[in-house]
Amino acid sequence: MNSVVPGLGSIGTISPLPKLPSLQPAEGQGGFGAVLSSALHHLNQLSGGAEQQVGNLLKGVGGDVSSVMIAVEKADVAFQMMMQVRNKIVSAYQDIEKMQF
Amino acid sequence: MTTGPPMMSMLESYLKLSASREQAISANMANIDTPGYRTHDINLESEFNKVMSGALRSSEDGAEPVQLTPVFHLVQGLMERPDGNNVSLDHEGLMLAKTQLQYQLAIQLIQNHFHQTLSAINGGS
Amino acid sequence: MNLFDSLSISGSALLAERQRSEVIAANMANAQTTHTEAGGPYRRREVVFETRGASSFRLALANNGEFHGPTPGSVRISDVVDDPSPALMRYEPGHPDANKEGYVAYPAINPTAEMVDLMDSVRAYQLNASAVAATKQMIQQAIGILKS
Repeated sequence: MNSVVPGLGSIGTISPLPKLPSLQPAEGQGGFGAVLSSALHHLNQLSGGAEQQVGNLLKGVGGDVSSVMIAVEKADVAFQMMMQVRNKIVSAYQDIEKMQF
Repeated sequence: MTTGPPMMSMLESYLKLSASREQAISANMANIDTPGYRTHDINLESEFNKVMSGALRSSEDGAEPVQLTPVFHLVQGLMERPDGNNVSLDHEGLMLAKTQLQYQLAIQLIQNHFHQTLSAINGGS
Repeated sequence: MNLFDSLSISGSALLAERQRSEVIAANMANAQTTHTEAGGPYRRREVVFETRGASSFRLALANNGEFHGPTPGSVRISDVVDDPSPALMRYEPGHPDANKEGYVAYPAINPTAEMVDLMDSVRAYQLNASAVAATKQMIQQAIGILKS
């Protein structure tokens, strides 16, 4: 996995960021689609949670401003990671497409 | 990669504890003229240690947040006025300044952590 | 466990101290008032401070839940009471409010004591205003996590 997205190893310490499943070579329909949709699913959870916390904060209910800010930032970071993953996957796919046999 | 509780939840807990302390200090300052009022405080360091050791146990089962219920105790050794109130203006002012700085420290560390993460994500191509 | 609650608490103290200084100012203004509508000299008044939600205070601070009504730990003036000290009698036979013996009843108000009280109230006000500034700065710093 590190060869596809270099630099991912250094952010393993953050717990809520999605753990992407390792890519299975040549599994047919699995592969890129599965990786993306799993990352999307984790991202949805994170941003849904963040949205709910923001709603609560605006209503005046529940926790600290700081917790809400951190949750929003975590969702943002996860989103950016997903975008990068998507970019890498798409560009890897395009590289493979260009190969001629 | 890491052993022990994740950095972010550590910092978040520290932040929440600082905010709790600040709330106790605000209440002390507000009641500086209330007869019979006693100064409250939390022991930030020991509460944080409690959270850390609790988090160590739960960090294996995933990102379960450790419930924060800090214990508020009465502060000893403060001079008491005739009406029973023992809030000291200087003591509370000092504690407030200290707590503000601790809060700022945690915020700064959190920001740094996010920046590191983001540059790892975006800069690693 | 909320910084916005800290603002409520400090705000309640600002209000209470302001009410206290108003009562003190009235005392000082009426130090020489020998008759009022109710008859008799002006009576010196004092404020009584009270912590709200005192019994649930510690539990409340540790709790994550919301509270209806006043924030525990906040303060209010629960009562304004008359000072029961007897009036000061001064011998002024020509005064319109003099009694049969020629004594006039003056309010038992010592301007110096009132002044000291007022300074105390101002100091407490400043303390809580600085608490508001500190809380506000902390909230702004938390919001700053999202910047850049």
